[in-house]
Amino acid sequence: MGDGIREGNLLIRRRLGRRRSDSSGGGRRLGDRLLLALPAAAAIALLFVTPIVVFAVYSFLSGSVYGFSAHLPFTFANYRAVVSDPTIGRLATNSVIVGFAVAGVSLAIGLPTAFWLRYCAGRFQQALIFLLVLAMFAGYLVRIYAWRTILGQDGILNDALQRIGLTSHPLGFLVFSRFAIVVALVQIVLPFVVLLLFAGFRPIEPRILESAQDLGAGFLTRWRRVVLPLIAVPAGSAFMLCILIGTSDYVTPLLLGAPGQLTVGVQIQRYFQELGEYPFGAALAMLVLLCYGILYAAFGLGFRLLRLRRLEWQT
Amino acid sequence: MSAERRSIGAGIVTAAAFVFLFAPLVVVIVFSFQSSASLTLPLTGPSVAWYRRVFGDPDFQQALEHSAEIGAIMAVSTLVVGTSAAYGVTRSTLRIRSALASLLTAPITLPALFLGVMLVSLFNQISLRLSLVTVGLAHFVWTFPVFFLLARVALDRMDRALEEVAADLGARPLRSFWRVTWPQVRPLLVGASALSFAFSFDEFIATSFVAGPQQTVPLLVYGKIRRTIDPTINVISTVLMAMMLALWLGAFLYAISRRRLRFQPSAASGAA
Repeated sequence: MGDGIREGNLLIRRRLGRRRSDSSGGGRRLGDRLLLALPAAAAIALLFVTPIVVFAVYSFLSGSVYGFSAHLPFTFANYRAVVSDPTIGRLATNSVIVGFAVAGVSLAIGLPTAFWLRYCAGRFQQALIFLLVLAMFAGYLVRIYAWRTILGQDGILNDALQRIGLTSHPLGFLVFSRFAIVVALVQIVLPFVVLLLFAGFRPIEPRILESAQDLGAGFLTRWRRVVLPLIAVPAGSAFMLCILIGTSDYVTPLLLGAPGQLTVGVQIQRYFQELGEYPFGAALAMLVLLCYGILYAAFGLGFRLLRLRRLEWQT
Repeated sequence: MSAERRSIGAGIVTAAAFVFLFAPLVVVIVFSFQSSASLTLPLTGPSVAWYRRVFGDPDFQQALEHSAEIGAIMAVSTLVVGTSAAYGVTRSTLRIRSALASLLTAPITLPALFLGVMLVSLFNQISLRLSLVTVGLAHFVWTFPVFFLLARVALDRMDRALEEVAADLGARPLRSFWRVTWPQVRPLLVGASALSFAFSFDEFIATSFVAGPQQTVPLLVYGKIRRTIDPTINVISTVLMAMMLALWLGAFLYAISRRRLRFQPSAASGAA
């Protein structure tokens, strides 16, 4: 008896199963559908995963002759050489200063801007967002280069300042300085930062802010207790992005920085393009990636400890 | 309303931010139309002399051709490979699909510098001579994840009931995709494909490591910037900005004219 029922159940289930797979047209071939992603997976595995592995191995190989001759045996010599390089201290300090300055300034400008675009822009919102996207694609090199014309010794800004009478002679620190590097890098990352933060503000309904206000929260309290906790995680991603771009970009420090003010990005580029010392460059790059990883983990841990989460946007 | 009144400060910052973003671009455009070779005030009056020089320059023509070629190949290849991958990932029930999706978006986490040095190490190791081919391979890794992210969003958000109806009516998967799925996601995917073109066209850092003797436009511009200050740089930049503006307006108008789904430019840009 029991067997009969079980058999009947099985039969029905099998039939239902078949019906369902028939009606969803290719349900039997669910595996097949994922096969559609195989070409992409192969390409990314070949062009992204393999290079990472090769690169990690390189950083432990010996030899650093121009024209390339990395070979066995495995060694930590590259790491030791990179770390004991006399300029490494200045390099690290400068990178940290530039990275954090870019991130800080970008967030300080980006937060109010994204806030205004989300809650106050009204019918201009779409057009302004479109302008942001446009600024993003106005050409990476030219946006760095333009600052030379503006900040240069006889550039537009110095010219204007002297005409107004604020200074009697050109300000020297405007170009070929850390100031110029940060200005140019902020201009590059700002559209990304504003868009990331705008996306972060999107799930936060205006009525949340309004009820905070109705409950008597002043401006500072509203930002500290309501806005900042809700935007913290997207702001963290934006901060991380600024650090990544600010420290790895090599064009800006070369074109706008003083000769001594190298960042890790410039140094990696020098190892690869000027000196041809791939293993050294690989070792430095791996160390920088390690630092990024530590910072990223610190953010994650901080958010977890503070119980901060990203709001999901409901369509 | 009251919240709006209180955001005058944020409004001022926003205005300043937009001035800060666009002032350099205005400067570049203005100086591209000057007759003098120096890039200082006062302005010397309008002229298109530098434009003539740029368009007559065979190096520029060659670089433009290379960049356009690679950009077009990126637009098409990400469209085909990316749409197929996003369709596979969103329509599969296998558990590894999310792992696969993370793999496909992973390159986005690395700055271009690292992509460049890693790829040049690989090419070196397998003795692949640097050329436009290696540039194309690098640009594919650079442009693919963004396209894939957007395509995945589009294919996830569309109305899937229609696909089920098509299947119930006996449409084969390919036919169902072409007649039912594709028309719904086309605006966003075409826009994302334009994005691939733009990302490829503007890429400099990774390209500088994997390029052979053939130049792309950013490589040419960088060479000029390193050598001298020269109004032709402003001219090339202005031309490129005009191209990008045309590309974006085109993609935007296309998306609006074909809109079947709500078009959300900020959803697109947020992922970028």
